Amino acid sequence: MDDSKMNEIDSRLDDLFRAYRAACPDPEPSVNFMPEMWAKIEAREASSTVFNRMAKALVTAALGASVIMALMSASYNQPVPAYDGSYIQALAADHVSDLEPFQVERISDLEQ
Amino acid sequence: MLVEFELLQQAQSGDVGAFNQVVTAYRRRIMGTISRLIGRPEDVEDVAQEVFLRLYFSLDQLRTPEVFEPWLYRLTVNASYDYLRKSKRRPESRMSDLSEQQVMMADAAAGSKAQMEEGEKHRVRDTVESLLASVSEDDRILLTLKEVEGLSLKELEQIYHVNENSLKVRLFRARQRVLKNVKGVTRRQANSASSGDGL
Repeated sequence: MDDSKMNEIDSRLDDLFRAYRAACPDPEPSVNFMPEMWAKIEAREASSTVFNRMAKALVTAALGASVIMALMSASYNQPVPAYDGSYIQALAADHVSDLEPFQVERISDLEQ
Repeated sequence: MLVEFELLQQAQSGDVGAFNQVVTAYRRRIMGTISRLIGRPEDVEDVAQEVFLRLYFSLDQLRTPEVFEPWLYRLTVNASYDYLRKSKRRPESRMSDLSEQQVMMADAAAGSKAQMEEGEKHRVRDTVESLLASVSEDDRILLTLKEVEGLSLKELEQIYHVNENSLKVRLFRARQRVLKNVKGVTRRQANSASSGDGL
């Protein structure tokens, strides 16, 4: 297709779009347009309020749960106090005296 | 702009009456654009209400009056896209409706001037809708906004958030794709006319 023909079709397309715009007038809104629109706005607002409340309740519950868990873990894991004595003192304190004395039987006794 | 910026500011501050005035000023224009974008007259009002609902919840973000109209068009285009995606259907050609109407019109008093004008309008609508239906949804919406709604490149830039040059390229390519289909569509319409359906 040569250029002049292409330009002709191109300008015909412009005319067609203009004619289309004229042939399609803007539709008239119904009398229910505004009430329906406000009903939708209110419904959206209500649902977002419910969502916000649920989100707040969830956050509060999560905070409460984490505080309780923190308290519980703190009470179960009491830190062991570091022993500040010497190694010998530590051994002595570790109920060593409660143990029975080590006895070595003589071999002659076993042989009997 | 169809409304003063002061009115928009009042609407922003929660004045219901001011918001109603904004809606009243723009609803016909917005409904017209939607009807040409989605091609479903029965759903136009629903989509328009969705546009104004989105406007209501985002109006507090508006800072400068110049961007209001492009922004409203952006909401309109997005709501139309959402509708088309949800319904997963393209605007249907009104060829079948047209045929019925044409038959009815031919049965009635044929040849009156008003009816001929109405018939010509139907023919134009049918041709353009068939042409636009033959390209992608993106091309169709871009061409409708530019060529039918008459938006400027500046306004389209604000709607699409792309620079003028890339818009020009996209428009040129979209037009080329439509032009490719001109022959086929006009041939189909000529056949339809010769078979007795056409005007």
